[in-house]
Amino acid sequence: MSARKAGTGTYAALTAIAILSLAPLLYMARVSLGKGGDLPIAPADWFGRPLSLEHYRDLFSGGPMARFTLNSIIVTGIAVPIQILLAAAAGHALARARFVGRGVFLALATAFLILPRQVTLVPLYLLLATFGLLDTYAALILPHLADPFGILFMAHYYQTMSPELEQAARTDGWSPGAIFWRIVLPLSGPGLAVVGVNGFLITWNAFLHPLVLTTSESMRTLPVGLALFAQSEHRVDWGALLAGSTIATAPVLIAFAFFQRQIVEGVLKGSGR
Amino acid sequence: MDGATPVDGPTPLEGAAMTRGKPFLGLAPYGLLFAAFGLFPLAYALVLSFLSYNPLRPDLVRWVGLDNYVRALASPSFWHALGTTAIFVLGTLPVTLVLAYGVAALLGRARRGEGFFRAAIFFPATLSMVVVSLVFKSLYAEEGLLNGWLAALGLPSVHWLLDVRLALPSIMAMDVWASVGYYAILMLAARKTLPEEQLEAARLEGIPALLVERKIVLPHLRPVLLFVVLLNTIRAFQIFIEPFVLTRGGPLESTLTLVYHLYDRAFYHFEMGYASAIAFLLLLLVGLILIAQRRLLGRGAAGAPAA
Repeated sequence: MSARKAGTGTYAALTAIAILSLAPLLYMARVSLGKGGDLPIAPADWFGRPLSLEHYRDLFSGGPMARFTLNSIIVTGIAVPIQILLAAAAGHALARARFVGRGVFLALATAFLILPRQVTLVPLYLLLATFGLLDTYAALILPHLADPFGILFMAHYYQTMSPELEQAARTDGWSPGAIFWRIVLPLSGPGLAVVGVNGFLITWNAFLHPLVLTTSESMRTLPVGLALFAQSEHRVDWGALLAGSTIATAPVLIAFAFFQRQIVEGVLKGSGR
Repeated sequence: MDGATPVDGPTPLEGAAMTRGKPFLGLAPYGLLFAAFGLFPLAYALVLSFLSYNPLRPDLVRWVGLDNYVRALASPSFWHALGTTAIFVLGTLPVTLVLAYGVAALLGRARRGEGFFRAAIFFPATLSMVVVSLVFKSLYAEEGLLNGWLAALGLPSVHWLLDVRLALPSIMAMDVWASVGYYAILMLAARKTLPEEQLEAARLEGIPALLVERKIVLPHLRPVLLFVVLLNTIRAFQIFIEPFVLTRGGPLESTLTLVYHLYDRAFYHFEMGYASAIAFLLLLLVGLILIAQRRLLGRGAAGAPAA
């Protein structure tokens, strides 16, 4: 690191950037905690007006927002643990075993990391339609399970992990399954945290595939439900819309608070595209 | 982190730990999912792009060869969408890059409170683009904050999203806001690996900071800059959520991007073969640009100290 003294100018600039960065989100939260449908403009409105949970109450009383939230929780809650297990199992196999086709598999998986996802959108739609899976949780979950990021990340992770313990266990006659569950998995925490939190962000925030692969309102996830809600209204109810946005943001904020380092590591290794 | 960039192709995974074994129990579940929901759809998309395919009229499905591609390349709508996307990419990429570079430099100098500033600046990059778009929709609204402030200054209100000339730039500004933190974090990580002694020596000799930045820091950051340019290009070409939420491609299709065009063709007009051809043209285009960027910017990167 540079040891240059950070002057007042640096801190003034950083403070300005941080405010610029967070202000729209604080504004979102403020509008969501207000009353009525209009947008508070003047600073006096932000601080002066009373706080209220009116918009949240309205959203969850009768509207589809509770269902959107539930759908997002179900999809993420099922997809992410499976992603973690797949990444550990496949990553470990790729790191430890030499077999025919391994190089091809790695090349294909890496190519998929940067492949624009829209390319497989139409065929996925037709494939799921063929099996009658459109508009189901399976349609919302299965495409996420094919994401190669976690597998490649864990393959690297295991490559840097010493195999001695596993070899000793094998010499002692442990089965591959026992070695995986009782030795490999317990040592995989730091790597799987990166896979899990990045998988969570991508699944929770997913939009284009859930938009296309669901058709009924009751199957919409939060991002899709919110976006369509914003489009359908003639006169937009900003309070409700930004309350929904705040709800969609809260889990991301919590994940960020606990796993910021892991999110950054995932970004550095190419989790996002 | 240089070796970890996905655009570098598969990093060799070789080592003493390798054993000849039966990996299939571990690999099979993911392998099947990857084949079913990754490889197969990709191959299917290629086949589709040579078909006339309306899922509502299975009786009319037929092989049309390269017709879909020819039709796209002759279609004003395709070129318009491509142009819109190109403006978006060319307009946002340099601005995002320069701002992220500056923010990373500032973060690199901060001693106290670096963690807070880093978190504050990076957080927006983890948000759903739908949420970001909805917040900015409220800011850009006719009765929104920006127009409220203009009114307070006695200025006429601006139709940020309804004016043909302003809608795309408004979306671009939002996108820069949402992605600067992402790239700043990538550049900051590379800055943390700068050769400390070299910088110290340069400073002791009284070499101006800007010269140090240009001669030592910039070459060191070259690999990460290339990575950021490639990643930003890939992401920018896929822009869809922003116009979908903010403008629905309007006004007068001024924000109708390539992926929006694809979505519209496939799921409103059910031209799934044609949409697949557009998808492959997008893939081809992004691939060519990535190769060109690597050729142009990657020169010298090999000689630069690895991050």
